[in-house]
Amino acid sequence: MSAGASNPEYVNARVRSRRAKLFADEDYRKLIRMGPSGIARFMEESEYEREINELGTRFSGVDLIEYTLNRNLAKHFQDLLDWSQGRLYDYIARYLRKFDVWNLKTIIRGIYTETDPDEIRTDLIMAGELDEPTIDRLLEVDEIEDAVTVLDGTIYAEPLGAAYEEFEETGALVPLENALDREFYEHLLEDIGRPNLQEPQQGPRARYVEFLRAEIDFRNARNALRLARSGADLDPASYYIEGGVLFDRTELRTLVNDYDALVDHIAENKRYGDRLAGALDQLRDADSLIQFEHALDAALLEYADTLSSIYPVSISAVLSYILAKEREVENIRAIARGREVGLDENEIEQELVIL
Amino acid sequence: MSEIDLLNAVLQNGTVEESPFLTDAGAAALAVGLSTLAAGYAERGIGAAAIGAIAEDDDLFAQGLIMTVLPETMVILALVVVFIVS
Repeated sequence: MSAGASNPEYVNARVRSRRAKLFADEDYRKLIRMGPSGIARFMEESEYEREINELGTRFSGVDLIEYTLNRNLAKHFQDLLDWSQGRLYDYIARYLRKFDVWNLKTIIRGIYTETDPDEIRTDLIMAGELDEPTIDRLLEVDEIEDAVTVLDGTIYAEPLGAAYEEFEETGALVPLENALDREFYEHLLEDIGRPNLQEPQQGPRARYVEFLRAEIDFRNARNALRLARSGADLDPASYYIEGGVLFDRTELRTLVNDYDALVDHIAENKRYGDRLAGALDQLRDADSLIQFEHALDAALLEYADTLSSIYPVSISAVLSYILAKEREVENIRAIARGREVGLDENEIEQELVIL
Repeated sequence: MSEIDLLNAVLQNGTVEESPFLTDAGAAALAVGLSTLAAGYAERGIGAAAIGAIAEDDDLFAQGLIMTVLPETMVILALVVVFIVS
């Protein structure tokens, strides 16, 4: 825990101002009709100007857009950490560990496929807790086992060490990545309260917990649906993340085998059923899991927005900004990649998360 | 000697010579002081938010300044008490 009082007013004012500068839905419609160079030009006139100019000499086309997005994202999230103090800092830092997990996954995949360290580096988003020297050392190692040793002393060392044995047996990266995800989500709710145990019932803190639970639930739902769809013979319980309210471990195990029951289970839940009604209908008759995942993203985003207007001066606004920014980055990336491979406008629009 | 006088004599048990703990002027000063403290506390949050907003957008300087000093009205209202008392 960092010392000192937190300063939610300051952080909120800045975050809300930046939130207002994000691209609007009309902007995406404009972007869909542009080619990669058009998108880059559009971004140059927006708040991505500095990154485009810095990277413009080295890259071009879709790569330029991609690296610009990553760098801009890292800049903004690093700013969040710079501004905030006290408890607010702890909460934000905890949530931004998401990018540590992302970076570690990227590095592990890179080591696995023996990719050049410089190439791995361009895909990293330096917005998490791990510092540069650690990342540098991680990039230098040749074996995944050494990478786990480098992480010694961080929260990831232990779960990765355990998962490594499984990795050695099966040769699949899934256990390692899963261990990272679970470590992240289980740390999110640390010190704030476990279900039914000293959990704050009211006030911003309760909302924060509620939001995190929603995120964990959605993650569980997504994993379960993916498993149900793939029909793979994997133990769903090993993908289960503690802390959600939608499923418990045993429920998940039975539900994964029955796709329709799984969808019904989500629809019956009074917390999310109404909110996801549209998406669930689609899920029932369509084959597209992507649509549903985007609906989950949109629902989570909307949820975060609602929370941030219930408690104006709390962490909720920051979380909602983080989600909104991520969505923007993902949307622009989807448009740029979609244009590159020649998808038509409707197809790209389906890939976007639009509220 | 009436009963009231007797009662006073018993209750006070002699004459009072020192001044009261809180005079009118002292109470008024306390009112101003407390409301100033409250205004300061309120301005802390607003000021922090205003600086945050100005850092993102310079044009907000005037609005930020006005919003920040709004709680000062509390102190002005408390000053009224001073004039009523004196």
